[in-house]
Order: sequence, then C-alpha cells, then structure tokens
Amino acid sequence: MRYTLVGYVFSETHKSIWRNRMSSFLSCGTTALALFLLGVAIIISLNLDYIFTDVERQLEIQAYLKMETPDEEAAALVKMCEGMDGVAGVRFVSKDEAFEELRQMFQDKAAVLEGIENPLPASIRITTLRAEDVPKVVEQVKELPWIDDVIYQEEASRNLAVLGRVTQALSLGGTVVVGLVAVTVIGNTTRMTIEARRHEIAIMKLVGATDGFVVGPFVLTGIVLGILGGLLGAGLCLGLYNYLTESLGKVLPFIPILSLSREAILNITGILVLTGVAVGTLGAALSLRRHLDV
Amino acid sequence: MIQLRDVTKEYPGGMLALSHVNLDIRKGEFVFIVGHSGAGKSTLIKLLYREEVPTEGRVFVAGKDLTRMRRREVPFLRRRIGVVFQDFKLLPDRTVAENVEFALRVTGYNGRDAKRAVAQVLSMVGLKHRAGAYPGELSGGEQQRVAIARSLVRNPDILIADEPTGNLDPDTSMEIFRLMERANRYGTTVVVATHARHIVDSMRKRVIELRNGTVVRDVRRGAYDD
Ligand SMILES: Nc1ncnc2c1ncn2[C@@H]1O[C@H](COP(=O)(O)OP(=O)(O)OP(=O)(O)O)[C@@H](O)[C@H]1O
Ligand SMILES: [Mg+2]
Repeated sequence: MRYTLVGYVFSETHKSIWRNRMSSFLSCGTTALALFLLGVAIIISLNLDYIFTDVERQLEIQAYLKMETPDEEAAALVKMCEGMDGVAGVRFVSKDEAFEELRQMFQDKAAVLEGIENPLPASIRITTLRAEDVPKVVEQVKELPWIDDVIYQEEASRNLAVLGRVTQALSLGGTVVVGLVAVTVIGNTTRMTIEARRHEIAIMKLVGATDGFVVGPFVLTGIVLGILGGLLGAGLCLGLYNYLTESLGKVLPFIPILSLSREAILNITGILVLTGVAVGTLGAALSLRRHLDV
Repeated sequence: MIQLRDVTKEYPGGMLALSHVNLDIRKGEFVFIVGHSGAGKSTLIKLLYREEVPTEGRVFVAGKDLTRMRRREVPFLRRRIGVVFQDFKLLPDRTVAENVEFALRVTGYNGRDAKRAVAQVLSMVGLKHRAGAYPGELSGGEQQRVAIARSLVRNPDILIADEPTGNLDPDTSMEIFRLMERANRYGTTVVVATHARHIVDSMRKRVIELRNGTVVRDVRRGAYDD
C-alpha cells in the first residue's frame, strides 16, 4: 500500500472545484477582479514613473550668474550646488554655450545673430531627485553669492509632487482594500465548502485521517483559485492596456504612454499570480482556522 | 487492551458524566455496556477513541496513554479502532464500496490492495452484491453493515459501537450483533453500548452496567438486568 497524500489532495481538489463550480467560479472571478485592479494600479504607477521622469527632466532650476562672475567662483558655485540635499545633477552653461543654445534655437535664421555681442549670462542648471525637492533647493541657491536670478516652475513642481503622492497613496490603499476583499471571498468559499463537507470531515477524523488530509484539499483549492484568478486578472489588465495603447496611440500620438516590455509583462503576471497564491492561501487558512478545529 | 484508572469526566457546565470509573478489558473480549439513559455510556465510548479526554484519571488503549497523547498522534490511534454509531455516518453521495474505501483513501492507502481489502470486507458483511449501490438505496440494517465494513477494513484491534442497533428492528439488530461477534472471533476486541435487552440476554457476554456515571455491575456471561 502506498502513502499518497499528494495524490489524494490533488484529486480531491480537482473534484471539489468541479463539485462547487458555481462558488469556485465566483471566488475565482472576484480574485481575478481584485488582481485586475492590482494590475491596473501597477501599470498606472509604471506610467506615472515614466511620465514623471520625463517631466522632472524638464523641471530644471536655472540659476543665472552675474555678468562679472569670475570663472573660478563659478566653479566653486557648481561644487556647492552639487553638495545640496535632493540635487540629482548640476550642469554649468557658460556664456558661450548659452549663446550657442540661442543660435540653435534660431536654426537657419541664425544669421541675424551675426555681429551681435553675446548678451547672455552664464548659468547653473540644476535637476532634483524628486519634484518636491525643487523649492528647497531654490531657497538655498538664492542664498549663494554671485547669483543674479533663479528661474524655475514652482507651481508645476508643487502640483506634480502632490499628484505623485496622491496617486501613490490611492493605488496602495486600493491594493490593500481589494486584496482584503479577495481574501474574504476566498475565505467565504472555503467556509461554504467546509459547511458542505462537515459530515465528511467528521468521518475523516473518525477513521484516522491526519490534518494534512483534512485541510490539504482546502488549502490547495484556495491556491488553485488564486492562481487562476491571478492569470485571469493579468490577462484582463494586460489585454485591456494593450488595446488602450494601440487605440490611444492612433488618436493621440503625443501622449506619453509606456509600452510594456516583455519583461514587464512577465513581471506583472508573476506578481499577480503570486499575490493570487498568497490571497488564496490566506483566505483558506484563515477560514480553516475559524471554522475547523485543526 | 483497554484500561480506565479512576476516570472522572465532568463536562463544561458541571455535568458529571463519569465518576471514579475503573475498568479492564483484555484483548479479544466482547463487552456490553448497559445502563439507563444518561448513565454515561456514550461518554465512556468517546473516551476510548479520544473524542473526549477525562477530567481526572487515565485511559489506556492499545498500550497508549490517551490522557497524555499528542494531538497529532490521535489519527494513528483511530486507525487501530473501528467506531460504529446509531446513525451509520455514511456519505450519501458515494457508493457502498466508495464509503468503505474512504477510510483507506483518507489515511493514505489506495490502489489495488485497497480495492481488494474493500471487496473482502464487503463479502464478509454480505454486501458484495450491493457494492455499487448508494446508501439511500439500502435498508437500515444494510447501511449499518456498510458502516461496520468501513470500521473493519483496516483490521482494527478494537471495534467500538454506540447503540449500533438503535434504529433497527430486532431481527436486523441480531444480524448486526452476529456480525460483530464474528469480528470478535477473528480477534478484534469489541465494546458495545446498547439498550438491546433481548440481544444482551441471548448472547451472554460480559456486561458492564453504569448508573449515574459509576460502574455498578461487571459480570461475565451476564444479562441486561441482574
Ligand atoms: N457534550 C456534553 N456536554 C455536557 N453534558 C453532556 C455532554 N454529553 C453528555 N452530557 C451529559 O453527560 C451525561 C451522560 O451522558 P451520556 O451521553 O454519556 O449518556 P448515555 O448513557 O450515553 O445515555 P443514552 O443512553 O441516552 O445515550 C448526561 O447527563 C448528559 O446530559
Ligand atoms: Mg448515548
């Protein structure tokens, strides 16, 4: 006679999902919906990262130096800026380079600039790590000597920082709420199965089944429903996103939308399936603990 | 095989079901537990397969001290004990053969050996020809024979029954007791709590009488009343 816990658990799980196909379908669907929302949250946050890095790159602080600033003082100022908190990069643009920038802006009409003496001051261009660092850095830069004027997009950077924080909080909160809903739904399915099988479980214990045989099918059922929900949720949100990027890309080609790499797609699917497994296991385990004396 | 040492069982709420019970049942014995309703028969039975634990005293079954047994050892004790109840406890959505095989499957045995053991025990209880029937298609007596088959399929050391014929007519009851006697002849120790006066009187086995939770009579080849 062979000892076959694994075989028993798998065949019972398969049967139990089929026997309770209505509630299995329900909990699988709810899990899929929950994980679909999680997937949407992930994709949104990837896109926000993508947009923010794009916009933040444009959120450059421009500190104009007084005309008479000596070169070595300018070099010292660059060093000081580099040492500030929240500063990502510092670039020195000399008078000549500024004039060259101007020339490039005029492109083919650059001839109008011929013979004009360079009116532009040298400047220090500073980028910050995060949008919310901008005001703080600006304050410090204004205190420095030889600084004539500081230009930056105050409103835009403040708003961006707030928007970033809010979306982050929302997607995180949404993930938690939606995850709890999924745990509850799987837990409820487990409870219904326990109720339906109370008699059978009592007999199992009577004839000497170990806890593994009693709870194994429930736990595996939870895991399988979680995996199915994860795959379904991933398919839904990736498919929908793919559809949106394609149709939006045609109508509004200038909107910055991240197209997901193969790796990102695999990662998202992996995260959703693993979360599904966690949700399924947790739901089943909590329910077993509450409704079954094991 | 079974020893109770100064066993007292008080249920939560203060109901004293057993009080200072001492008992020795040797291997191969056939024992009736009798007594009025509420005397403590079911409580005694439950102590034997560790459904309940005593408040005081010790219970030994098959060489194990049940009062000191760990939770995870309990399933292995129960595999050596077959238990039969008044209400049969069969699974209505499984056939006779599947009900018997269930006891093997959920303890990790399946395959050809399991099938053979099921067929063997079904022919012993005389239900081989009903192997594919569902419990709902059987008479009460036949259902109880399925339950007995399930309890015997592992060749237990002990067969315990709590009013196994409470739902059956006298003739059918006699068949059930004959079946248990047969298992007893093969070496299984049998303990039966029962109200079946005529059967106890006709079988002339050891009789232990409980009254208000204490043993008031324990006789060999006894009768239902003294
Ligand atoms: N789970 C329980 N909780 C509290 N009291 C209980 C419990 N089970 C039994 N009792 C009480 O313990 C006493 C003995 O009950 P038990 O079931 O052992 O009697 P019995 O001899 O089997 O009776 P019957 O012949 O009616 O089946 C009774 O007074 C009963 O009310
Ligand atoms: Mg009773």
